[in-house]
Formats: sequence, C-alpha cells, structure tokens
Amino acid sequence: MNVQPGDQIPSWHMPSVLASRMQTMAAILRDPNPVHWDRRVVAKLGYGERTINQGPLGLSYMINMLHAWVGPTSIRRIYMTFPKVVLDGDDIMAMGSVTAVREADGERLADCDIWLERPDGDRPLIGRATVVIPS
Amino acid sequence: MTGTPLPDVDAIRALVGHEFPGGTYTIAHWENFLLTACTGADPLPAALAHPVALFHVPILGARTSIAEMFALGQAESDFSIGIESYDWELLRPLEEDLPYHVTGRITEADRVATDKRVYDRIQFQFDLHQPDGRHAARTTITWHYRRNLR
Repeated sequence: MNVQPGDQIPSWHMPSVLASRMQTMAAILRDPNPVHWDRRVVAKLGYGERTINQGPLGLSYMINMLHAWVGPTSIRRIYMTFPKVVLDGDDIMAMGSVTAVREADGERLADCDIWLERPDGDRPLIGRATVVIPS
Repeated sequence: MTGTPLPDVDAIRALVGHEFPGGTYTIAHWENFLLTACTGADPLPAALAHPVALFHVPILGARTSIAEMFALGQAESDFSIGIESYDWELLRPLEEDLPYHVTGRITEADRVATDKRVYDRIQFQFDLHQPDGRHAARTTITWHYRRNLR
C-alpha cells in the first residue's frame, strides 16, 4: 500500500448520531451520567433536547474510518481531545490526513491527524493516530 | 450566589498513586456485537473486538467504575466533568473471549487555576495483559473536575 505524507484518509460518514445507540453504550459502560440518555437533563444544560454522545462513541467513528482504510488490526495508538460535544441527530464525518510515514520495530507506520467534522466545518473531536501500513 | 466549596487541594494531590483493585475482564461476543453496532460498523472478522472497548474494559476490569472515578475526584456533579484527552495504545488487537488481566492507577492529580476557571486535573492509567502475560494495551484518561460551576 502506497501511503505518503499529505494523503487524505477516505472519510467515514455517520449521517445521524442516534440516541438509542447512546443508551446501549451507557448500559454496557455502566455510565450513570444522564446526559447520554435523558434529553430533559441536557435541555437544562442549554444544548436543547438532544442527548450528548459518549466521547468513546465519537472516537469510534474515526476507528471505523481507519479500519476501512488500513484494516481492523492496524491501529497502534489514538490520542483524542474533545473540544465540543456531539449530539443526537448530528451529521458527522470522520476525516483524516497523513502527517508522516516512518519505520519502527520492523513496521511501516503512518502518523495521522484525525477529526470529526460537521457539514459546516465545525470539528468537535480532534486527535492523532498511528497505524501500521499494510504491505 | 456562592459555589460549592473547593475540595482540599492536598486531598486531590494525594490521589496520585492510588491503585484500583485490578482483576480480569473478558469481552463477550454479545457485548462486542452490541458495542460495534453502536459505532455504526459491521462486526469485525475473526472474533476481533472493536477498539472502542478500550474505554470501559480497563475501567471495569480494574474493578472501578465511572461513578467511582467521579467520586474519587469529588466531582460536583455528573455535568462538572470535562474530558481533556483519551490516549489509547494498542500493542495487540483486542479479542473476544480472552480474559485480560487489568491494572489501573491514578498517575497525575493537581489543581489548575486559569483566569476563567478552576478545575482539578486527574489522570488515570490502565494496562491490559493477555493471559500469557503479553501487554495488550495501555489507556490513559485525563479528566477535568470543574469547580464552582454555580
């Protein structure tokens, strides 16, 4: 696989973030925070009657993008920040670009900038990833 | 209106070195299936577990919980927690039905004051090892416990 710095990673689309998926996640994570499953609570915080996506769930959209690009065992590291929240009903695109290609421990690695992006260009999650480039 | 009293900063700093009991965690097929569906992806091949499991598996495997982590930092409420970062290192792909040995600890804890707000910054680190002892993953969670929101 030919990967070069500056390459764009094929994007991955979540056309509508679903509240029902947040509820399932909350149950599996044993996450008691009602912002993920009670719209009335979120409304009091000023976000409208829309639940707030769990941070790891937003991160998972970028994992799906990386899996589709270089395979399901390729990810070596992900570092993620969460400047803004993702809400149910959001149209979200996972995107990324290659910043460096290097060798380490006999593997070809790609360092990447990765992020989530709304149609207006807003980026609620911003981070970095390192993946193995398949031969 | 006055805010909630600040926790003693020395009590926050004393959290560094706190070790969770630790234990094992096995990702069941049903759990991985549902988790993966939540991400909007199809199941991965060969019983691979979706890496999104690297949030809850370390926490629950170390025998703690999100609620306990909130309480350790004396969170004012569920809404007072902000995420600084999640750092996930995958040394080996995660697998279903493998009993991972999990350890966890608090590695950093201190008060931060800016001109806009005061928060306690607490960092948790977890390690997952396979039954044969090989290191599978390390995760680092850094949260901000915001103070005096009222």
